[in-house]
Amino acid sequence: MLLVREDLKKLKEYTDADRDLGVKEMMEWVDGLGANFVGGEPLWPDGRYVTKDAIVSDGPFIEGKEGISGYIMIHAENLEQAAAIAQSCPILQRGELEMEVRPLMITDFPNG
Amino acid sequence: MYKQHFGKMVAFLLRFSKDIDLDTAEDLVQDAFAAAISHWEKQWPDNPAAWIYSVCKNKALNKLRDDKKMLRLHQAPEPEADAISYAGDFPDDEQLRLLFACAHPDLAPKVQVVITLKYVVNLKVAAIAGSLGMTIDGVDKLLLRARQRIKEEKILLVTPAPEAMQQRLPIVHKIIYLIFNEGHTSAEGKVLLREDLCEEALILTKAILDSQMGNIDTCALYALMLFNAARFKARFDENGELLDLEQQDRALWNPDLIRLGTHYFNLAKGPELSSYHFEAYIAYLHSTAASFADTNWQLIAQLYTHLLPNPFAELNYAIALYYAGERNSAFEKLFALQRSAFMNSYYLLNATLGKLYMLEGDHAQAAVYYSKTLDQTRSAAETNYIRKMLSKLNL
Repeated sequence: MLLVREDLKKLKEYTDADRDLGVKEMMEWVDGLGANFVGGEPLWPDGRYVTKDAIVSDGPFIEGKEGISGYIMIHAENLEQAAAIAQSCPILQRGELEMEVRPLMITDFPNG
Repeated sequence: MYKQHFGKMVAFLLRFSKDIDLDTAEDLVQDAFAAAISHWEKQWPDNPAAWIYSVCKNKALNKLRDDKKMLRLHQAPEPEADAISYAGDFPDDEQLRLLFACAHPDLAPKVQVVITLKYVVNLKVAAIAGSLGMTIDGVDKLLLRARQRIKEEKILLVTPAPEAMQQRLPIVHKIIYLIFNEGHTSAEGKVLLREDLCEEALILTKAILDSQMGNIDTCALYALMLFNAARFKARFDENGELLDLEQQDRALWNPDLIRLGTHYFNLAKGPELSSYHFEAYIAYLHSTAASFADTNWQLIAQLYTHLLPNPFAELNYAIALYYAGERNSAFEKLFALQRSAFMNSYYLLNATLGKLYMLEGDHAQAAVYYSKTLDQTRSAAETNYIRKMLSKLNL
């Protein structure tokens, strides 16, 4: 799984047109990945941060430059290849986002 | 000759001495070809390939001597004595060896494709850029980054062990599949060049089959590509405009290629089926259907379920369901895909919704979806197609 990280504060100020443009560029990239692409979505920057004591708006990550702004699932031969695929993202190449590459642990978790 | 031998010679030099790096090897081979052009004007050698190899070798030796590395060369473990006393034609499996070397599992698929096109198919950077829809600058950058890894890990130098070759076979299949798909995806003005790519993919697959290194997946992949290649000529009209499968003149489909594809499809039978099998089966059903209406859409829809989960396969699945008569579930699947922000900005999803609404007689909705694709298409041919469809609507 590729966890997309970027400046959530900046994302909050995006207009619909800005967002469409970003999504379109991402779509073109994942389209080019062919069968290596499994799925993925961007996430809205507004959320809730839940702890034992409270449910707060947004939480501590909203101020950081590396909040999670989306996820992308890919097929790769190994971690090295997954990282090489992530590196080919044009938006990442421009330095506008970063990706955390994490292999999925396969368990008997009851997925829908 | 250049096209056939450039990559092999670079690999030959890399194996010849471990003191030669990739850049030097490429320069030396370029030099040798330049020398050949001036020498051969005077006298044509008996064996041009051997001539070039021996010039390359001498140039390499000179280079090493200049670098005062002669001593180290002698101390180096014998790097394949028989390769040095090269005479005659280089075995063709050198090209296959390179193909498997490019299928390094640590490289991104796009990088694997680019270095295969460069070192195995021997395309120039401009041609690679043109056929993959990349900029020359982009290909250069990608090669630059790949070179670093190729050098560090001696990717072109080390022959994978036979077991590793078997393990890499699926990656090799994927590289070939990607090369073919790049050739198959239409783009205006590049049609010829791209058919060339499809041909290269077919040649490489045939070479694997001939070398006995292939398996039933290789047969399925070969069949799949043959079925698609058979339909090339019919994909565009006389003005070079993209045609729907429905409008294609089936008489233009190449019956020999379809027959050959069927032959390899039969050879691909086995207990464990790959995605190539299902795709080949779908292509077989399309290629052998008498008409669009006669197509076995039910079976095609069922075959697509084996290619899930993948949003692009899901889209094709929905289309097959529609033509199989299951309209409601087709629309349900498409609406589900639409909820994905990614797919919602994918022109083929909106073009499909446009087309199906048009078939349902709801031209107003069709126009909404077709118009949505206009800033989502990727080539002039696609935009022209959408404009043509929009002009057909009664609004």
